[in-house]
Amino acid sequence: MATVIPVDEFISDEWYPGFKPGYTHAPWYVDPVQTFRKEDEENFWFLDFHWPRGLTPMGLIWNEDGYNWASQLAAEQMPLPPGRGITCRLGGTHTYGSALPVNDPREIGQRAERLGRSLPPFLQNFDEIWGHMREEVNESWDYFRGVDLSALSTQHVRENLIQARQYHKRTFEIHFQVMYPLLANYVGFYSMCTELGLDPGQIGKFLQGYDTKIMETDRELWRLTAAARTAGLEPAFAAHDAGGMRAALAAQGGSASTWLTQFDDFLQVYGWRTEGSCDIALPSWNEDPTPALGTIKTFLQKGTEHDFEAARNAAVEEREAAVDAARSKLTLDEQRLFDSGLASCRAANFPWWQDDHNYYIDLRISLPMRWACQEIARRVDAGHPDDTLYLFWEEIMDVSAGRRPYDAGLRSLVEQRKQYFDYWLERRPTLPKVVGTVPESVNDPILIEIFGLNSHFLRAVEAVGSEGQVKTLTGVPASKGIGRGIARVLHNADELHRLSPGEVLVCESTSPNWTPAFAKIAACVCDGGGTLSHAAIVGREYGVPTVTAVGLATMLISDGDEVEVDGTSGHVTILVHASGQGG
Amino acid sequence: MPDAIAWVDAIDPEQAVGVCGAKMGRLAELRQAGVAMPKGFTVTVDAYRWHCEQAGLDDAIDSVLGALSPGAGSGEIESAARAAQAELTGREMTPGLASLIVDAYEELSSRCFDINVPTAVRSSAIGEDSGTASFAGIFDTYLGVSGPDRVLDAVRQCWASLFSARAISYRLRAGTRHRDMPMAVGVIELIHARASGVAFSAHPVTGKTDRIVIETSWGWGEAVVQGLVTPDHIEVGKADGRVLQHQVAAKKVVSAFDYAAGRVIETDMPARLVDRRVLDDEQIAAVVDAVLTVERHYGYPVDVEWVIDRHRRSGDPVCVVQARPVTVTAPATAPMPTEWNPAAMAAKYVFRS
Repeated sequence: MATVIPVDEFISDEWYPGFKPGYTHAPWYVDPVQTFRKEDEENFWFLDFHWPRGLTPMGLIWNEDGYNWASQLAAEQMPLPPGRGITCRLGGTHTYGSALPVNDPREIGQRAERLGRSLPPFLQNFDEIWGHMREEVNESWDYFRGVDLSALSTQHVRENLIQARQYHKRTFEIHFQVMYPLLANYVGFYSMCTELGLDPGQIGKFLQGYDTKIMETDRELWRLTAAARTAGLEPAFAAHDAGGMRAALAAQGGSASTWLTQFDDFLQVYGWRTEGSCDIALPSWNEDPTPALGTIKTFLQKGTEHDFEAARNAAVEEREAAVDAARSKLTLDEQRLFDSGLASCRAANFPWWQDDHNYYIDLRISLPMRWACQEIARRVDAGHPDDTLYLFWEEIMDVSAGRRPYDAGLRSLVEQRKQYFDYWLERRPTLPKVVGTVPESVNDPILIEIFGLNSHFLRAVEAVGSEGQVKTLTGVPASKGIGRGIARVLHNADELHRLSPGEVLVCESTSPNWTPAFAKIAACVCDGGGTLSHAAIVGREYGVPTVTAVGLATMLISDGDEVEVDGTSGHVTILVHASGQGG
Repeated sequence: MPDAIAWVDAIDPEQAVGVCGAKMGRLAELRQAGVAMPKGFTVTVDAYRWHCEQAGLDDAIDSVLGALSPGAGSGEIESAARAAQAELTGREMTPGLASLIVDAYEELSSRCFDINVPTAVRSSAIGEDSGTASFAGIFDTYLGVSGPDRVLDAVRQCWASLFSARAISYRLRAGTRHRDMPMAVGVIELIHARASGVAFSAHPVTGKTDRIVIETSWGWGEAVVQGLVTPDHIEVGKADGRVLQHQVAAKKVVSAFDYAAGRVIETDMPARLVDRRVLDDEQIAAVVDAVLTVERHYGYPVDVEWVIDRHRRSGDPVCVVQARPVTVTAPATAPMPTEWNPAAMAAKYVFRS
């Protein structure tokens, strides 16, 4: 008897005030974005970790352009034999995803044949293909960076917004066109290694130690930290909150001003990134440098510097040792197979791309749309530059075209929608991680590897409620070693400043903006993810014991619990409950 | 009286299995193909038949077993087994046959420069260990049998093991008649084992034929064969002889010679040997050589029981004491390719189509 988690709490005619649920006006490839209907209960939906705050009306553009256009398009083009990509339903402001299956065996067979023709050349030419794509993305990026919106007519700002959305949509086509084949190849290689009898805990290491744009950013942050220390700014950083840091340093003048110049130079290169994936509601570091300054503040607290060279050399050494150890266990024929598979995965390196692409795509691609929306807010004299993010696409099109006045009615709607957003933001920690019919197993590699929907996760979400006070949780051993400390249960990146060095990060999942935290934490535990999720990759690079796909860690571990994380075995033990009871 | 004794090094290999039963016949074949093994002789199939005839056993046993239907229950089978074995062990061996066996045993002692040489007395029935049905472990083996009376007794025990409850029920299931599987008995010099074990020229679980799998422990091989000890596990690549895996197990039980009892017994492993690696690389290579020789001789995957004599020196061959075709091969899986094909791998592992 399958477990069914009802969707009823999400079925409502009330949605974002002033907008009719049944969000089906944007083009989609296979299945549109919608709010939940009762019949959705027959399918399996997982709470998407990318937007822990929920999405504003304009933020829902991502669901339309990303999942329901680009992922579905890419799944048809490559194609994926048994799947048509990802679709989503909205629970309030929150996104639940689901895989779209292909069920006809004949069609699956034909799709498999098509994949057989399209996959090898893609992988062989990956460097060139990704190079061209990156060039295209960068070229448009430079275009949007070069536009002075304040000098344009409102009509031209509107056109700029339409272009920016087209850029957003096209970039996510690229995103999924790359992600699916790379992931398919990697999972194939991983599974083959398992069949050859290699230790699954070692396989992730074969592809580690390659520099990414995200790591480059982290390195620069540490360089700025060292510069701040040299400039004698430690007391200033200790004395002020990250939010007021910039003003305080500017007021201090002298070496602080010199340092701020360096910091601004850094922002010009690395500051075009948001504190979360693909969300127009998030500012870049250039707009609000608080996250970067907060990170530097905690790096200074840590005292010792993170030696990136040493960490990378260790990662490379570990990689080479893991490859040698694996090869020594294989027969000559098996070695040939392993070597050619490894070469293919190195040439089209999924774990590397997974981190690298965030710099070019996920963390900055919403910014041009954000700038245009904010410019329109100024033109219509909205109360706050972000107010237009609480309009739906048709509304902002009408407003910017002058077809609809930004009047008291719209202003009041925006206020109501902000309240609606806040209401759902508060509900987030208690939302069900999955709804609908929990399957025996999930076969989509993307859902398993990226979202961590492995059989362990599925059993964990089924078992919730039947357990008393839990002491030991189990997940995927993602980065080896044992770490112990006080748990900080964080629900989104805004709370990262709460982490003190030596604590254990417990969260739904991490994104690239969480990376700096890995330099100071003792261990990391995630509800979702697999061996390839962001936390797993960064955990290995930083040598932080990490367990992913624990299922309900953020519900079962309380802030302040003392926990032990065994990233080798995948066990998380609550040693002392924060309430004072022994674990 | 028929030819009751066949020496391992003298029997015509063409006739060996028919005369000496499966186990001893194959040893004779391999001995003459150049595989190193202990000295020994077989009390032939004809000797057994002649004994049955002389002692009037055929009718007695037929009347005991004839009543058993293929669906007989275990209680029925056990009482039939007791009755049949009582007939076999209760009747004296014809003096002529007994003296032939004793003569051969004394000849073996003298060939081994010993008096009352300790031996392994092994059942060797016609049709056991065939390519299609393995009677592995069904019939008796006695290790460390020393002196003419004990050898004669062990021979009769081996004959009687043809009628143990499990042998009878195995035959009922396999549809084999006992007259079709007469029992020869091997009497072989007992090698003073430093270490012994089994080796497979195909992986016994995955069926992969690209490697040799060795399982080994200290002392005699009984504890390994009967699964009483967790042995060291070694895998060697067939193409280049490279050790792919060498897992050293905690070996808690050893088959050792009990001089007081005059036989090999199972006892606690001495503490200093429990975690010690049994084979060094030279010894592994010698085991691999022996297994490959046997495999080449038969032309199909084999499993081999082998012993390393405590006096063996580096470069000497290891002794083969048993060899048989691998009867249960793993379900035929498509062989792994040797070149990475991303689409095929994605189809197989990612999309499972």
